[in-house]
Amino acid sequence: MQENNFSLKAVNITKKFPETTANKGINFSLKKGEIHALLGENGAGKTTFMNILYGIYMPTEGSIYIDSKEVKIKTPLDALQNGIGMIHQHFMLVDSLTVLENVVLGMKNQGIVIDRKKVKQKLIEISNMYGLDIEPDKKVWKLSVGQQQKVEIVKVLFRGANIFILDEPTAVLRPQETGPLFEILRKLKKDGKSIIFITHKLDEVMAVSDRISVLRKGELVHTVNKNDVTKEQLAQMMVGRAVLFDFDKKEQHFQETLLDVKNLNVYAESGMKIVDDVTLDVKKGEILGIAGISGNGQQELVQTIAGLRKASKGTIIFDGIDITNKTPRYVAQHGINYIPADRIGMGLASELSCIDNAIMRNYYKKPILSGCVINYKQAAVHTQRIVDEFSVAVADIKRPIKLLSGGNMQKLLFARELFEDPKLLIASYPSRGLDLAATEFVRKQMISIRNEGKSVILISEDLDEILSISDRIAVMYSGQLIGVVNAGQVDKNTIGLMMAGIKLEDID
Amino acid sequence: MLYFEKKENISNKSKLIISLVSLLIGIFFGGIAIAVVGINPFAVYKSLFTNAFGSWYSFSETLVAATPLLLITSGLILVFRMSVWNIGAYGQYIMGAIFSSYFAIFMPPDLSKPLMLSLMFFGGLLGGALWALIPAVLKVFWEVNEVISTLLLNYIALYVLKFLMYGSWRNPTSYGFPLSKPFPESAQLPIIFQHTRVSLGFVFALLAVIAVWFVISKTKFGYEIKVIGNNPTTAKYAGISVGKNIITAMMISGALAGLAGMVQVSGIIHFLQIKLNANYGYTSIIVAWVSYLNPFLSFMSSILFGGLESGGYSIQISMRVSYGIVGLIESIALFSIVGAQIFLNYRLRWKK
Ligand SMILES: Nc1ncnc2c1ncn2[C@@H]1O[C@H](COP(=O)(O)OP(=O)(O)OP(=O)(O)O)[C@@H](O)[C@H]1O
Ligand SMILES: [Mg+2]
Repeated sequence: MQENNFSLKAVNITKKFPETTANKGINFSLKKGEIHALLGENGAGKTTFMNILYGIYMPTEGSIYIDSKEVKIKTPLDALQNGIGMIHQHFMLVDSLTVLENVVLGMKNQGIVIDRKKVKQKLIEISNMYGLDIEPDKKVWKLSVGQQQKVEIVKVLFRGANIFILDEPTAVLRPQETGPLFEILRKLKKDGKSIIFITHKLDEVMAVSDRISVLRKGELVHTVNKNDVTKEQLAQMMVGRAVLFDFDKKEQHFQETLLDVKNLNVYAESGMKIVDDVTLDVKKGEILGIAGISGNGQQELVQTIAGLRKASKGTIIFDGIDITNKTPRYVAQHGINYIPADRIGMGLASELSCIDNAIMRNYYKKPILSGCVINYKQAAVHTQRIVDEFSVAVADIKRPIKLLSGGNMQKLLFARELFEDPKLLIASYPSRGLDLAATEFVRKQMISIRNEGKSVILISEDLDEILSISDRIAVMYSGQLIGVVNAGQVDKNTIGLMMAGIKLEDID
Repeated sequence: MLYFEKKENISNKSKLIISLVSLLIGIFFGGIAIAVVGINPFAVYKSLFTNAFGSWYSFSETLVAATPLLLITSGLILVFRMSVWNIGAYGQYIMGAIFSSYFAIFMPPDLSKPLMLSLMFFGGLLGGALWALIPAVLKVFWEVNEVISTLLLNYIALYVLKFLMYGSWRNPTSYGFPLSKPFPESAQLPIIFQHTRVSLGFVFALLAVIAVWFVISKTKFGYEIKVIGNNPTTAKYAGISVGKNIITAMMISGALAGLAGMVQVSGIIHFLQIKLNANYGYTSIIVAWVSYLNPFLSFMSSILFGGLESGGYSIQISMRVSYGIVGLIESIALFSIVGAQIFLNYRLRWKK
């Protein structure tokens, strides 16, 4: 036994919450210089386990060893002192400060006066070593999500960590940013650092990891070498059955127009024109995919359709009714439901209960409302139906929704909108943060409402997702519609080029 | 080693305990301040306690002070729950007093009592509501910060009151003192307990607490308040009209503060004057926080703070302690409650 080959060992970790046991007797080891992927369904306990290693929670039972010495990690500060750093799914950066200021923020041994020069030099050193490409004096709000993630990595490196925990780092990245992140991880590994990496995407697991652990319902059921398994076997381990992404798409003859957008202009808060003269239609019974690199106006376009933004020019006709610049309630009542991209920021109220969140679309209608009183019994019944039908893992629907795992929050939100039986469902990144089975389920749901003759607008950066379920694909670039193509007639490459602003007729 | 662990949920019991402890911390530091001026703090507190709860009569005086606190706090709970910071109960209270006094001063005194009191009742509600409407509209339509606007309006309300009291509303026979003429019998709220000053206003206060509890926990309006308070963006997304709700809640909050002003002039003072105890408007902010914006806890806190107020008046006379000590205790209690937030969110644990 080469005991000292392990940089971290967790023995028999159990974490009980009042109503659930999130981790059950987990035995986990991390080798020096390995990338260890952690897989598991939504609510399997991945985030909880990482939070224990990082000192956000104390385990109910179990012990943690670092370099064969037992340690007690009670706070994130303890974790850092033991060389463990974590990059959360939601970044913990202060927008108004510079990169450098964010890095030194909360560091104890910097003294009262910060030696900016020294820090900056070290930052640049680290940045060059790992190809992070960091500008220390840039304000954080000016950085893209991918760059912010690099700042988080630098922060952890600067504190001298040897063990890196990344919780779903790729969920927030554009597809083309994933590769560079993996490059950084590989460099870290070459330097002898150890990495734990959570994801739901099996391709990513196969691309970077050395070993893979699978959590199921709080238990660690398998730890395997990557070279010994296939994607299919991994899916089987996670879900307990094979997951097939083959969909039963009915032949459809699209004739009637459901949504008709003409010459739409929208300005962002900053005064910039963010949707530029977009003309677009959606037929009854079709799934229209909208592809584009994030920030090119897709979100603003659909938010305007949903009544959340004002159009400065143009019209939106839905099912024969002019809904241009109508209120969100008006639009929803006429049959458009919208699943926003950033569920914590818009779409959920995290401190409120699952019930309160589940009735957001029907609290003002019978049977939930009678007179001006909300019937919370009926509300609970409605919530329970959502939870059962979409198998949302929740212990007590009366408790705040923020206690759900990330994927289960997303499921509840998706279900709530679908339960309204919309004529048009607008879904932004509907499978973000969902596990394999749930992703399959959500996609099947979208196809099934399409087969019923209803329509879907799907916004996604995941080209596989867009190509596999859309009927037509609209590509947006810098606020404009670059083109609309039939899904069967293009490949990923073409869409990718269009997303970079190249018109279809200019592609050879 | 002693360390903090993040707690997942906070029970009502721990909220209650922390509220009480905060008050005790306030009392502790108040005691130090009393000792510094060379008076025995224990004697002062003993006297304060007997003067607040020692006999039926002193308890009834505590209820008298608790009545406006309870009315105002009920309204503040509504707006605070939607993260709208109405600091203007002081001014809304004054406006309620002015509007209701108008009827008592200028209507024929032989008006039937029910009619006169109804006019004054709705006058009080209206005065407070209109005064709260101003900052609400400014906030909703021009994004003017309500903390600043409500605070400024407090001063304006006071000057309006002074203007009237030194001007046309002054009683010509008051020897130049800024007082209105005394209210006729028909304009005085009936007393509900004999030989005390507890008026029908106390019943209004009880009804207000129950109504606010009902609104926030059962109604559609209460649901919308919850969502707005937690995440305004989500509220807008769900089709909730944030502006309309802010205006409604602010007007209710102002109306209840105005009613407190009406109860004070019609139930206690029986004329209008410059000194109306409008400070209840500020104390209620503390009461609301100490109660964690919970209507039932606010009932208990109002009685406690009412006792502090009424007992405080008495020790001023009997022990020659400045009334300022009451303000000191109240504000330290507020600080401790804010500080106690950490104990609510984290659990103190001991581990080797
Ligand atoms: N603070 C908490 N209090 C109560 N229950 C919790 C708490 N945190 C997590 N849970 C529960 O523990 C379980 C595991 O959650 P966790 O967030 O670890 O899942 P996960 O594997 O990260 O899932 P996902 O892939 O959806 O992010 C869930 O059922 C969740 O509801
Ligand atoms: Mg998670």
